[in-house]
Amino acid sequence: MLVAQTVFLLMGMLPQLAVAGPFPAETKPILAEDAHDVAALNVSIAVFDPGVPADPRSHREQQVFPRIREIEAMFLPFVLRETLAGTKAWGAVRVVPQHDVAAELLLTGEIIQSDGEVLELKIRAVDANGRVWLDRAFAATVDNQELFFEIAAALQAARAQLSKKELTDIVEISLLRYANQLAPSAFGDYLHEAADGTFTIIRLPARNDPMLGRIDRLRRIEYVITDAVDAKFQELHEEIASTYNLWREYRRQVIEYQVEDVRRAQDTQSSAPRGSYEAMKNRYDNYKWNRITAQEQETLAVAFNNEIGPKVVAMEARVAELQGWVDQKYAEWHRLLEELFEVETGLR
Amino acid sequence: MSRMRSLLVLLLISACSQQPVIRDEMRRYEGAMPADLGGSWERNYTRDDDVNAVLRVAYNKLVRTSPDQRNPRAPGVVMPSPQEMSSLLALARLAELITRPDVLTISQNEHEISIERKDDFAMLCAFYGGVAKATQNDYGTEICGWDGEQLVSNLLLPDGLQVTHRFTVSQNGQQLRVVTTVSSSTSRVPFTLRRFYSKFERMPSEFNCIETFSMKRVCSTGELVL
Repeated sequence: MLVAQTVFLLMGMLPQLAVAGPFPAETKPILAEDAHDVAALNVSIAVFDPGVPADPRSHREQQVFPRIREIEAMFLPFVLRETLAGTKAWGAVRVVPQHDVAAELLLTGEIIQSDGEVLELKIRAVDANGRVWLDRAFAATVDNQELFFEIAAALQAARAQLSKKELTDIVEISLLRYANQLAPSAFGDYLHEAADGTFTIIRLPARNDPMLGRIDRLRRIEYVITDAVDAKFQELHEEIASTYNLWREYRRQVIEYQVEDVRRAQDTQSSAPRGSYEAMKNRYDNYKWNRITAQEQETLAVAFNNEIGPKVVAMEARVAELQGWVDQKYAEWHRLLEELFEVETGLR
Repeated sequence: MSRMRSLLVLLLISACSQQPVIRDEMRRYEGAMPADLGGSWERNYTRDDDVNAVLRVAYNKLVRTSPDQRNPRAPGVVMPSPQEMSSLLALARLAELITRPDVLTISQNEHEISIERKDDFAMLCAFYGGVAKATQNDYGTEICGWDGEQLVSNLLLPDGLQVTHRFTVSQNGQQLRVVTTVSSSTSRVPFTLRRFYSKFERMPSEFNCIETFSMKRVCSTGELVL
């Protein structure tokens, strides 16, 4: 309800923003050194790629449950968000449903393996400049939280390699890329994009550029919506964390049972003479129990989805609604800003 | 002469045993699956094979196909070795054990047929794009195929142990015949049992139930809201 009210209020503010003209004196223009501590970059974490093999025939063999992977793809970014926020080394850390190319630091990830025993994620971190901070796999076998701490440490180590000037550039380039997306006529020639995808600043807008002020206000509005989306991920995390942890614990136990099955099969292999009933039944039972374990796991995957699915669907619908609102307003802002730029520069 | 005949029979059996149960052409089909096995099936004991009678027939076959091993007390009669007898008996016991379930619940969709049995794993026949896909684990391989309108499931286990089921639905779709053959490299003669099932409709439940992970089975007389 609070989110709906916020959206409603913001919608009311939009015409005022678009025609406000020069900003009031107390509103500072947005250059990096005024915005925030440049070392504490804002971080956007996109919903992960679930890493589900395209061939459905391989899912059973690889013990991949596609729907659960999709849930994990929304759940695990939030664990990373909490870990990064907990370090207090970053600005705002948000989970976003889509890749935000203008993010100061964008983290994307893919689930390589998640079976209760091993969690392996491939994480890529790219700043607004296009510089790749990280692009590698992280794995944990016992404590998953260790994996997220490791990612946090790797990000801090990568940031430590950058000078203050480079960090300042990231903040400025982020804003200029965002501005360029919204008003390309006004901000199209401030940045140069190299063939390798990196950006360099050609020149900066004036500190009191009214168009930049408007862009900054719109970005803040978008952040409010992004925070509302992020809050939905937080709600999901709170609602499913205990069931998800039970699921991982169950998967871990299944792996233990499978190891025990192998041991039992090896131990009993030679105890009965070949061709005897005991030997034949042993061969049949080895196969049977392994299949029953796998089938039980499939049944419980369905049960997990029955329980969590409705919550995820509701959350996805709300996120899609918020994202739809942003997309719609984004198009409107884009049109208004382009018109304003034409009026202000006398091109019309 | 009799030695030559025995050898010929043995060679024939050996040649037959090398043929895969599921031939390549059985693994493929076009369009819809050739038969619909879906539904609940209960055992019709009156039509079942009698295990002892089948065992007698198998024993006679074993005697006929035994290598030339003279019985000193009855010259001219070819007796199977104790190991062969033991193996045949083992196959019979295993076949009887495997065919014990009195209810089969068969789910069939576009890609898969799952045959649920009490106290055993659910047999799985997976077909993607009309081609059978084997189900495998460290202990065996399960593969299915269509022999005309018969569904054939073959389980390959170590020591040459094989379990094959042939499912045939009657024309009116109300009767199901399951022919189960258990064979092993330790026995020259396989053991085959026929079981018959009749279709039945499960009573609709008054409750709406759903399996959940943390709350197990949740039921309600009205709409289920988790």
